Amino acid sequence: MSGFSAAPTPPISPAEMQVLVSRAGLTLNPGQMADLVLAWRQMVGLLGLIPRDRPMLDDQALVFRLPPPAGTRESHAAGKPASPKRAAKKSVATAPRAAKKQAAAPSSAGPSRAAGKKAASPKRAAANKARRRR
Amino acid sequence: MTSIPPWLTVAEAGRLIAAKKLSPVELAKALLARIKTVDPKINAFLTITEKPAMAAARAAERAVMAGTKHRLLGIPVAYKDIYETAGVPTTAHSRILQANIPKHDAEAVRRLREAGVVMLGKLATHEFAIGGPAFDLPWPPALNPWDTRRFTGGSSSGSGAAVAAGLALGALGSDTGGSIRLPASFCGIAGLKPTPGLVSRRGVIPLAPSLDTAGPMAWTAEDCAILLDALAGHDPADPASVPGPSVSYATAIATPLKGLRVGVLRHVYEHDMPAAPEVHVAMNRAAAVLKSLGCRVEDATLPPLQEYNAVGRVIITSEAYALHEANLRTRPSDYSRAFRIRVLSGALIRAAEYIAAQRRRTDLIALTAKAFQRFDVLISSPTLGAAPLLSEQRPDDGFARPLLTTLANVAAVPSMVVCAGFTAAGLPLGLEIMGPAWGDATVLRVGHHFERETGTRDRRPTI
Repeated sequence: MSGFSAAPTPPISPAEMQVLVSRAGLTLNPGQMADLVLAWRQMVGLLGLIPRDRPMLDDQALVFRLPPPAGTRESHAAGKPASPKRAAKKSVATAPRAAKKQAAAPSSAGPSRAAGKKAASPKRAAANKARRRR
Repeated sequence: MTSIPPWLTVAEAGRLIAAKKLSPVELAKALLARIKTVDPKINAFLTITEKPAMAAARAAERAVMAGTKHRLLGIPVAYKDIYETAGVPTTAHSRILQANIPKHDAEAVRRLREAGVVMLGKLATHEFAIGGPAFDLPWPPALNPWDTRRFTGGSSSGSGAAVAAGLALGALGSDTGGSIRLPASFCGIAGLKPTPGLVSRRGVIPLAPSLDTAGPMAWTAEDCAILLDALAGHDPADPASVPGPSVSYATAIATPLKGLRVGVLRHVYEHDMPAAPEVHVAMNRAAAVLKSLGCRVEDATLPPLQEYNAVGRVIITSEAYALHEANLRTRPSDYSRAFRIRVLSGALIRAAEYIAAQRRRTDLIALTAKAFQRFDVLISSPTLGAAPLLSEQRPDDGFARPLLTTLANVAAVPSMVVCAGFTAAGLPLGLEIMGPAWGDATVLRVGHHFERETGTRDRRPTI
């Protein structure tokens, strides 16, 4: 495994586990509780493999994009169905560029956002680049 | 129209139907009869929709006679029971949804219906696509047609079993951590997890929305390509859906492989999670086959599998728990034990830990994409060996033993499994082929040529 330093998830005692389960609104019988203790032990191992010492300004990963405001050129483009021929041309032309871009720099978005980037116009892509530089 | 040849593929049946040499009605009748005989041995179906199937087959036949042409017209298929089907129970193989009868079709189901397929019924799954195989649910788990004592893989267990046993020519599955590709591997069929956003998930009961994908399963890669042609397309109602590349997958697969750069992720199945010796032999043979087809084959390296698995498990557990929290609070005993073991710990994962997993995922997406600057496809083994005995399955699988397939889900890349060959005991082994985002056509193309070269598609289970 790689040698990153992850803040260890502290162990949970049975009493603490009961408090957490109650706080989650769960009512588990003893067998279900025993299963949860077993599963949590394994989950702690997995959590320990995920680095958490990232810069504060690093992307938060969970983002979403609003549709462009009404009246802008982009909103017209988004609202208007493109002709099939034009849409096909655009998607073919932009897909490899998006893949290249994703490969060149660590993505700052989840798949849906990364996918959204694929369809960005060259103008918008340049604006985004400038914003990132700032 | 003539009698029904046994073991048809989607492509073969489509050609025969188009040439008016095969009747969709006779084909549907033959498969429904086969389901009645064979399904009690493998439990692939939860619901058989005989009457609507025959009505759809008759409609397809009328369309064929009227000159309508579509490669899926009259093709019998079935759906994992997490795909909503209007007027037909959609249970997710769970007590929780035992009485659920949706009003609408899932978008993928709608697209296939529009293409003229004949729905034969709904297929077994692990409970909500995660909790199984389980014996404490209203329906038994599906069994592997190659050896009914063995596991089908999951969670699209019924889809894998039904296609392998020749009960449906194609099926739909879903894949969040390997749920299309694992049953494809253990059942010796082909299954594609497409690039996220290529196939709409609207109307597919979610497990972990940031990782869920919907995709086709069939006997061959070519059949998956034909199904994908109908399935792919932008759906504004699925927030992850995007307009994918405008290609015909079924046409694209014909291009020869000469010059294709293939990376072998040897470290995954030799070091990260050492697989059985038979897997090593099968992978070496697969690499040799691809070389013989003109590919340039070299070893490739990605971050350790355990990192992808940890990220995938934390995201799946957190998101699945969030979706099921209300029912887990009020009726936890209505879920299977396997489901509770795999999902309940989501109640204890802190927000910061979930965010850390999502942030690490962005790194892993980028690092995987970087590997695709050197390679057109990456190959690996989807499993550590052939299908294990069902009695060996542990409810905590996926925690204790990382899944090799989760890598592609976390990396947001298309990935398919085709049959790589068979063990000495006659059980199928899989070959996993991954491509860069939107490289679905290349992945299918490699699978198609590999299948043709190896001849694995000529061997069927004797059930």
